[in-house]
Amino acid sequence: MTRLLYVLAAAWHGFSRNPFMSVASTLTVALMLVLLAFFVVTDRGLQSAVALLEQKVELVLYLSDDAKISQILDLRARVEKDPAVSRVDYVSKDDALQRLKELAATRADIGPIEEIGSNPLPASLEIKLAKAQESRRVASELRAEVGGGIVTEVVDNPEVVDQLLTITRVLSIGGLVVLGMMLFVTLFIIVNTIRIAVHARRDEIEIMQLVGATDQLISAPFVLEGMLVGIFGAALALLVLIGAAGPVTTSLVKFLDILPVSLGPNFLARLAAGVFGLALLMGAGGATISIRTHLSR
Amino acid sequence: MITLEDVSKRYPNGTYALRDIDLHIPAGDFVFIVGSSGAGKSTLNRLLIREELPTTGHVVVDGQDVARLRRSKVPLLRRKVGVVFQDFKLLPTKTVYENVAFALIVTGHDGTTVREETDRALALVGLLPRRHHFPRELSGGEQQRTAIARALVMRPKVLVADEPTGNLDPVTTWEIIKLLVRVNELGTTVLVATHNAEIVNALRRRVVHLDHGRVIRDEREGLYAA
Ligand SMILES: Nc1ncnc2c1ncn2[C@@H]1O[C@H](COP(=O)(O)OP(=O)(O)OP(=O)(O)O)[C@@H](O)[C@H]1O
Ligand SMILES: [Mg+2]
Repeated sequence: MTRLLYVLAAAWHGFSRNPFMSVASTLTVALMLVLLAFFVVTDRGLQSAVALLEQKVELVLYLSDDAKISQILDLRARVEKDPAVSRVDYVSKDDALQRLKELAATRADIGPIEEIGSNPLPASLEIKLAKAQESRRVASELRAEVGGGIVTEVVDNPEVVDQLLTITRVLSIGGLVVLGMMLFVTLFIIVNTIRIAVHARRDEIEIMQLVGATDQLISAPFVLEGMLVGIFGAALALLVLIGAAGPVTTSLVKFLDILPVSLGPNFLARLAAGVFGLALLMGAGGATISIRTHLSR
Repeated sequence: MITLEDVSKRYPNGTYALRDIDLHIPAGDFVFIVGSSGAGKSTLNRLLIREELPTTGHVVVDGQDVARLRRSKVPLLRRKVGVVFQDFKLLPTKTVYENVAFALIVTGHDGTTVREETDRALALVGLLPRRHHFPRELSGGEQQRTAIARALVMRPKVLVADEPTGNLDPVTTWEIIKLLVRVNELGTTVLVATHNAEIVNALRRRVVHLDHGRVIRDEREGLYAA
């Protein structure tokens, strides 16, 4: 009990003795955590967006007007066998015209369709892919069919897919790198804050060692001081996040309108818990590094 | 209580501070360690509390080989061996009482024990009236008595004093030495490293004389010089 009081008092004393350093490291921890939370949320959103767009990726095979129905069915069966393909739909010339008319009805810039005498639109096979990454391969395989009398053209949008995948990868890796650097800087600042605290109390530490205090007890106030930095940093970060939560949620709701994405009901609670956990871990870890280095000299 | 077998100590820079020391100090002894500056007195003290490790040989304190002690057991050794230095090593922001109680608090004693034992130690060194003073408000002798109280409050088996009177005038020196004799009479083994010929000669206690790291004299009722 006396020991516990000592540890608590010493930790608080250490934290408040050097307010500039304590505030600086608290702010750094908070900044790091806000960035972390921002990164996690963004990454979540991007991943959902990619998943959604992957579902939408499709290839279109335009068919020759001369192709026989049996040939088309045969081709369709072959395409469906590919494991990267999830679905193949046949769009006849009439269907295509119908779609164009519906589109024209909603758009003033497209003239009345009635003026067209014959139907110039080709029939097509619309291919939905299960795996967006495979779109390039599937498309190139199908291009081999062009000129065989059935397929006249293969239309895909691999650039869009590739770009999207690249963007998410760059963002993820970039985010991780920045985050890693932030973690490192934060740890560095905590280590230094506690090192200064250790230095300020080196006489006290020397006496504790001489009278036979254990390393654990000597370390405890410093580790606690590091955790205080972590806790205050996390609290500050959560305040910022809660403040930002209103506007962010509104825009998220709009965003979610377009994308059927859900962050999950516990997502924010888990994020907050993660933020606190990480802050405590970094505070305790950084402090342990400082005091143990001092004690093992 | 203390046995040194064939102990040598070589510092990393190559200096041999102790060579081939064989020494036995039974429980209850009062020993003066004498010798000129650099003879190895402080090094000997440091080996006893494992502040330094012997380069060769064994240092056995209370039945335990100090070098074999795991790091986690070192605090237990230090609770058995109290230390006092020439420069007192008091914490300036703590009162006399707090300085002494500090040792008990950081070794995990409960509140009642801290109060009772601190008062007992302060009474023993005669500092109860000064308990709420800060070190800067004390004379050198009072500061050293505070340091002795802080060592004694742990009820150590051995008290090691490294030139405890080095900063004190002759009258105060005698006060401190009498206190150390009293502590010895109460059952604690006491080692005093000193340059003070007068007190060594007056007390006629056991004298271990070091010279260039070797024991050149060990007498039961010795004088400062042969
Ligand atoms: N940490 C150290 N590193 C290297 N050499 C040391 C160290 N401490 C002491 N020495 C050397 O070891 C020898 C013994 O030193 P020690 O301090 O034990 O002597 P001493 O008898 O206590 O001297 P004094 O009476 O001046 O206090 C000296 O030559 C000293 O220079
Ligand atoms: Mg010395």
